[in-house]
Amino acid sequence: MAAIPTAQLADEELVALVQKGDRRAFEELVERHKQKAYRIAFGFARDREEAKDLSQEAFLKAFTHIGRFDGRSGFYTWFYRILVNVCLDYRRRAKRTPAEEFNETVEGRVEPSPLISNPVSPDQQAIAGQLSRRVGAALELLPAKQRTAFILKNHQGLSIREIAETMETAEGTVKVHLHRAVTALRQSLAEFA
Amino acid sequence: MIARDKPALKACRFLEEDLVLYYYGELSASDRRDCEAHLKDCDACRASLAEMSKLLPITTAHDEPPPTFWNDYSREMRRKLDAVAERETWWRRIVSLLSPLPVPALATGAILLVALTLTLGKGLWQSSNSAPDDEALIEVLPIAEQLDFFSDMELLDNLDLLETLGGQGYGTT
Repeated sequence: MAAIPTAQLADEELVALVQKGDRRAFEELVERHKQKAYRIAFGFARDREEAKDLSQEAFLKAFTHIGRFDGRSGFYTWFYRILVNVCLDYRRRAKRTPAEEFNETVEGRVEPSPLISNPVSPDQQAIAGQLSRRVGAALELLPAKQRTAFILKNHQGLSIREIAETMETAEGTVKVHLHRAVTALRQSLAEFA
Repeated sequence: MIARDKPALKACRFLEEDLVLYYYGELSASDRRDCEAHLKDCDACRASLAEMSKLLPITTAHDEPPPTFWNDYSREMRRKLDAVAERETWWRRIVSLLSPLPVPALATGAILLVALTLTLGKGLWQSSNSAPDDEALIEVLPIAEQLDFFSDMELLDNLDLLETLGGQGYGTT
């Protein structure tokens, strides 16, 4: 009997194959989720190479710990937690480097949001560049939990409940983190409003 | 031109947190209705919400890498997976060297090892305690010699008795 192409299998079926030692099944999972994973990592790192490394690191962790996946949640939910934790670890590591150094690494590589993308005039380009740097710096100044809650909500669009599960905290705590993050960002970036 | 030092617009204090949740669509139906009712009558809260709506979307960073990036991504990922799989293979080989042995055999081996260790350990312990025994013997020897002396004294007593008895015999004969 011919084997079913991995592209036709559901995530959980692929996981079952990976758990039996089928590495190609895991490669299919990577192909399915790499773009989403990359975008999430980019929200944290704001750097193309860093985001690639972080998302790949998360995939490798998922691969080595695939035996622990018990199917109580979907593969992506399980993987998502791994990815967010990898990104949070990255933030902790990045905290050890001076802020100026961090800003230099992200400067010029972050594409501004669609609202300010494709600036046409030199003035607009300058504003877009300045905004990009200021946003990066303002996010960098947020305490880790506030930043995480904000990124998961504002960039990833997770619900408060999902954020609470990911951060392993109460929904009320997430709301407080989110409110404080928004307040701090509004103060830091008021000139752009 | 960017306006500098522009303060963030202040919403009514009691609604600050709810306004953030309202913006993100996270209020319950009844709280949302209350919030909307307040917004109708409050210029400050409306302005604050408008500011959030303008500012928060620009904080997100988007990146659309070219297709070549994704090809490289997949290739690099496969290489990293190869490396992980190779590492795991080494571990499996080590484990497989031990795995043909059944669990009872491993348990018996462990028990024998413990027993051997205890036996040898005890022997060493005893030999290491031999020195104090010698010392005790050295202490006891003089006492034993004194006991010999006392046994000699007993012999002398016996000699006296013999002399007495002999004297009496000589006298009678």
